[in-house]
Amino acid sequence: MTAPGQSPSPPAPPEPEFGDPGTLAARLAIKQRAGGIVVPIITVVLAIFISILVVAATEHSFHTSLLAFQEIFRGTGLNWIVHPTTNLQTSIPAYNLSQTLLQTSTLILTGLAVAFAFRCGMFNIGGQGQYLVGLLVANWIGVSFAGMNPLAHVLFAMVGGTLAAAAYAGIAGVLKATVGAHEVISTIMLNWIAYWTASWLLGVGGPLQDSSNPTSPVSKQVVPGARLPDFWGNQGFQGVHIGFFIALSCVVVFYVLINRTTLGYEVRAVGFNPDAAAYGGINVKKNLIRAMAISGAFAGLAGAIDMLGGTTNYQFGQLDIPFSQVGFIGIAVALLGRNTAVGTLLAAFLFGALLYGSFHGLGASSVIDPSLATNLTYIIQGLIVLFIGADVLILSVWNSRKKLRWRWGSKTVGAST
Amino acid sequence: MGKQDRWGLDVSTWAARLENPISARLRDPATTGYLGIVLGAFAAFIAIPPIEARTITWPTLVGLVAIALGIWTVTRGRRRLGWGAVASGLLGIGLGILATRSSAGNLNSAFDATLVAQTLGFATPLVFAAMGGIFSERSGVVNIGLEGMMLMGAFWGVYGADKGGSWVVGLLLAAGVGGVTALVYAFFAIQLRADQIVGGTAINFLAVGITGFFFVLLYNNSPIPNGVSLLPNVHIPGLPGFLGDSIGDLNILTWASFALVILAFLVLFKTTIGLRIRACGEHPRAADTVGINVYAIRYACVTLSGVLAAIGGMYLSEGPLGNGFFQFNMTNGRGFIALAAVIFGNWRPFGAFWAAILFGFADALALKLQVYSDSASTLFHVLPYVLTLVAVAGVIGRTVAPAADGKPYSKQ
Amino acid sequence: MADDLVLEMRDIRKEFPGVVANDGVSFDVRRGEVHALLGENGAGKSTLMNILYGLYRPDGGEIVLKGKAVSFSSAREAIEAGIGMVHQHFMLIPVMTVAENIVLGTEPVKGGVFLDESAADKRVTEMAKSFKFAVDPDALVEDISVGQQQRVEIMKALYRNADLLILDEPTAVLTPQEAEDLFEILRGLQREGFSIIFISHKLNEVLEIADRITVLRRGKTIETVPREGATEESLARAMVGRDVLLRVEKEPAKPGDVLLEVRDLHVRDDRDIEKVRGLSFDVRAGEIVGIAGVDGNGQTELIDALTGLQKIESGTATIAGRELMHATARDALDAGVGHIPEDRQRRGLVLEFSIAENIALHDYAEPPDARFGWLFPGRMISRARTLIREFDVRGGGPLTRAGGLSGGNQQKVIAAREIARDPKVLIAAQPTRGLDVGAIEYLHRRLVTERDEGRAILLVSLELEEILSLSDRILVIYEGEIVGEHTGDVSEQQIGLEMLGGREKTAA
Repeated sequence: MTAPGQSPSPPAPPEPEFGDPGTLAARLAIKQRAGGIVVPIITVVLAIFISILVVAATEHSFHTSLLAFQEIFRGTGLNWIVHPTTNLQTSIPAYNLSQTLLQTSTLILTGLAVAFAFRCGMFNIGGQGQYLVGLLVANWIGVSFAGMNPLAHVLFAMVGGTLAAAAYAGIAGVLKATVGAHEVISTIMLNWIAYWTASWLLGVGGPLQDSSNPTSPVSKQVVPGARLPDFWGNQGFQGVHIGFFIALSCVVVFYVLINRTTLGYEVRAVGFNPDAAAYGGINVKKNLIRAMAISGAFAGLAGAIDMLGGTTNYQFGQLDIPFSQVGFIGIAVALLGRNTAVGTLLAAFLFGALLYGSFHGLGASSVIDPSLATNLTYIIQGLIVLFIGADVLILSVWNSRKKLRWRWGSKTVGAST
Repeated sequence: MGKQDRWGLDVSTWAARLENPISARLRDPATTGYLGIVLGAFAAFIAIPPIEARTITWPTLVGLVAIALGIWTVTRGRRRLGWGAVASGLLGIGLGILATRSSAGNLNSAFDATLVAQTLGFATPLVFAAMGGIFSERSGVVNIGLEGMMLMGAFWGVYGADKGGSWVVGLLLAAGVGGVTALVYAFFAIQLRADQIVGGTAINFLAVGITGFFFVLLYNNSPIPNGVSLLPNVHIPGLPGFLGDSIGDLNILTWASFALVILAFLVLFKTTIGLRIRACGEHPRAADTVGINVYAIRYACVTLSGVLAAIGGMYLSEGPLGNGFFQFNMTNGRGFIALAAVIFGNWRPFGAFWAAILFGFADALALKLQVYSDSASTLFHVLPYVLTLVAVAGVIGRTVAPAADGKPYSKQ
Repeated sequence: MADDLVLEMRDIRKEFPGVVANDGVSFDVRRGEVHALLGENGAGKSTLMNILYGLYRPDGGEIVLKGKAVSFSSAREAIEAGIGMVHQHFMLIPVMTVAENIVLGTEPVKGGVFLDESAADKRVTEMAKSFKFAVDPDALVEDISVGQQQRVEIMKALYRNADLLILDEPTAVLTPQEAEDLFEILRGLQREGFSIIFISHKLNEVLEIADRITVLRRGKTIETVPREGATEESLARAMVGRDVLLRVEKEPAKPGDVLLEVRDLHVRDDRDIEKVRGLSFDVRAGEIVGIAGVDGNGQTELIDALTGLQKIESGTATIAGRELMHATARDALDAGVGHIPEDRQRRGLVLEFSIAENIALHDYAEPPDARFGWLFPGRMISRARTLIREFDVRGGGPLTRAGGLSGGNQQKVIAAREIARDPKVLIAAQPTRGLDVGAIEYLHRRLVTERDEGRAILLVSLELEEILSLSDRILVIYEGEIVGEHTGDVSEQQIGLEMLGGREKTAA
């Protein structure tokens, strides 16, 4: 009946059951609608609570555990509110807060990167690699071209890093658009390609390595003219540089892009339902590439800003979270912040505080072994991501609260909810 | 009769292809394409020991044949495969020429029998983790957390060997912890239907944190003692030169990995339980309607993947390279290379095995080529990742994941 | 009489969040009979059978199978009790062979754990011979025809010694000829003593094959009648609860200029197989042209080509004089094509978007909704408000999520969007699939209205009834070619024959 080689199409798969959406963005949107802001808060509280228990168990003392977390809190600098002052040299809380803000600005950007890709239905795990690319390119530009006008030099380095990272992320976008390669795989691979390339570039004998320091895989220093100025504190003492404001303005840019532009409309449509988007006349492939590129741009900007404002050279292999994990923490930030502009901002602040607080707050004190602190941070982070991924659990608990209330209400005569 | 090509020959499976007459096989673009890729690699191989041709003629000739085959393949319709063969041919010529330029001494020290041994050694942890990954994904659950499970194995394996006095205890502990970690992941992915990639990423974070935390807690003030019981090597006495240097002294886990691959293949493709596992990964609802317990199978496969990954991870710390020491974040991406091997090998045990060998070769080569240039040899580490990118770009045919891979299943 | 009953379901009740799927349904099956379960979408037929098959648990009621009360908590238990189900959406694994699919779950073993492939092949071949099916046990399911796949599903049930078979909408994907083959098979099974439950919403088929018919409506049993004495009208009335207009009332068409001209069109699908092989036809302003055909004969690719979603291999398609060459979706939209897609949730709407955003789906980048890339949500909302009023969309306002609307209202949103763009050619693909009767009536009336406004309407549907009642002209598509063209009255039989590739023999 049918020509050889032709098989008639089998019956179409069943319609989504009870509105179960197929796309990643749609699933995340449902969770956002259902839980609002409560679920993220519960997630974080739960994660911290479990961590307190972990520390208490290993230190055999609940009191020690609480003390430890108090140190973390002090480390964040949030207690600065009590005695506000602008003098970074004398006030420890002020200094802590300033460092927390620095950490936050990086995480804002890597979080926005992941969030933007999620909005288009893609999982950008490659933030770390894109961050590295931005960092390296900014370093290279910042090191070369000495004697250039400072403003131009800074701009050139930032733009260069951003664009390079955008192109790097674009590779994953192109692969997805042309051959349908899953972006999780491509971005993971790109991460490690960036890592090892950086290892070569900055390794002993590598092209970008600081030859005056021959045994250590450190990059060259960015020239003073190409550094981002500080607005709180001074350069020498690691003040807060204007990168913080750049990050904040990116939050606004993100919001505007997503909600107020045709680009954002297209990105959201493709993320929720690429078939309908195509039918509507939207070029799906172009948007996939565009979204990944913009996503990479955010992450690359983070790298560029860190290079130009923070420590101005980069030691490869630093296990310090600020450099080696920010891309991955960005995933947690975006998820916790539900891929929204404001959510990402708040989540970035939470993680920034957590990171700096445990690293340096706990690390500087003697409540518990400081190197435990590093790992504790990973554990907390892991728990948060785990619970976010499974906020179905938290959601169902939350929803059953409402159901219970309703049942109680109907059983008890004359009860009001 | 399955798929046919334009000449009416049965090309539905490789078995069918092999039964076609030779002339027909040569006309089949898939055959010429793969042949082209292989010849390209061979072109480079000619210039290194043991053949070690010192003129550029041979590599160039063989490479040109590869390019020709590639072009033939392109014009017969398999474009990506054909261009892959062309690229392979070009690369082969280039590498062959490079090799002829290098000194014989360096070549000999780089390409000797220990290269084989090191390749197998580097590949061992990958093979274990990849087999685990295959079981998990074939049952329908993506496992990005292989990296974390390997890391758990690396730490707890050492701990067990240390406190338990023997590597056997270490092995059991590693397997156990790996299994438990996977069970946690399975709970979130299967029961709670959480997003599997997010869950896997979380497992990786947690593993780094947990292993680091307990490493500091348990060993900070009294480091891991020297002479912790290691995974033993299997010494085969009396093997002649090349064989002796290459496989005469491999680790027990390396031999175990060979057996594992065969076992995995048999289980997945020759047993009833394997059929059911694959059904769960392709069409869980169909499996459910014939009475298969999809949840149970997925739980079992994910847990198995954790056990295997952890054992593979233990090789890193307790094997010949690790010497009984653990380092923070020791796996450093190997779990992802294993995942790449699974994909590159098209979710088949032997495919993933050869992919792991290839990736292990890259690592071994990176080490050996340090004789040329310390820093440039680092770049060899990117090879597994670049190759996987090439694979997912569909150069080597389409990689087809199990149809329901990554989609949570819900009974009603 | 009572011990003749192989199955009794009494007072079955099943609730899902927000809907009572089965509300005290009672239903029984005699040994060796074909019993049809008739009802509209959402009447509760599939739910009832899923309960019987162990996939759902009932909230109330009881089931008596062969004299014993039973309660299944899994499909496995139902299978062991002798119940076999052939689902509407096949439960087959495409990449596995026929034999593997059939034996899955109860595989023959050798050596304890190994799959005995040759034994499986042998058993399948023997079974196929005894029931006179023709299947190749080693063929991959993805390579065989839909009719054959269905036979594999039936064999799955028989392999497990089912004696009560449930078939869920089995003819939905078959040609009329394949449906006849299926009925032959069912009658054969009946003679062997098997009992069959036949779920359907197609009146004519039910009247042909069933011994008794039970009609469900909104979760309740309405009546159980023997075939003798039942008519299409009586059944339809029972299904819907009132007299149903089986044909749409419309004036004769007044066709004007040719607005859609297709000449020798060739289109390939995503797998590079030629699906449209030289189609030529016209649609004029003011007429409805219906394309009848079994799913998979090129309709989808034809529509994709006309809407710019698939490349035209060769040939031409011209919209009001403007040829679609290398067209993108945007080009087709600009040329004046409107498209009500067959899969409204997958193609037609972004469920997570609001109604306003969905209505703007084609035009979001143009003024007034946007200018130079900047969106103006306020204008989108006011435009949506107007259209919601005009098309009587219920269930929410401009800011309501599209996913929260009922199927009928979702379809109205899509229709509103397409019609508001004033298209020259309106393509409606399966426009009333999955809708309740009220929504169907609305859409049919709307299509006729738009026809009278002077649009050229191309209707593609798998429901012959819809084609017959709406179309001014009917084209039959088979394997990518037009094999028949009819105006005026034509019988379903004749169209069915053409859909299969047969042609009416001209009288000598």
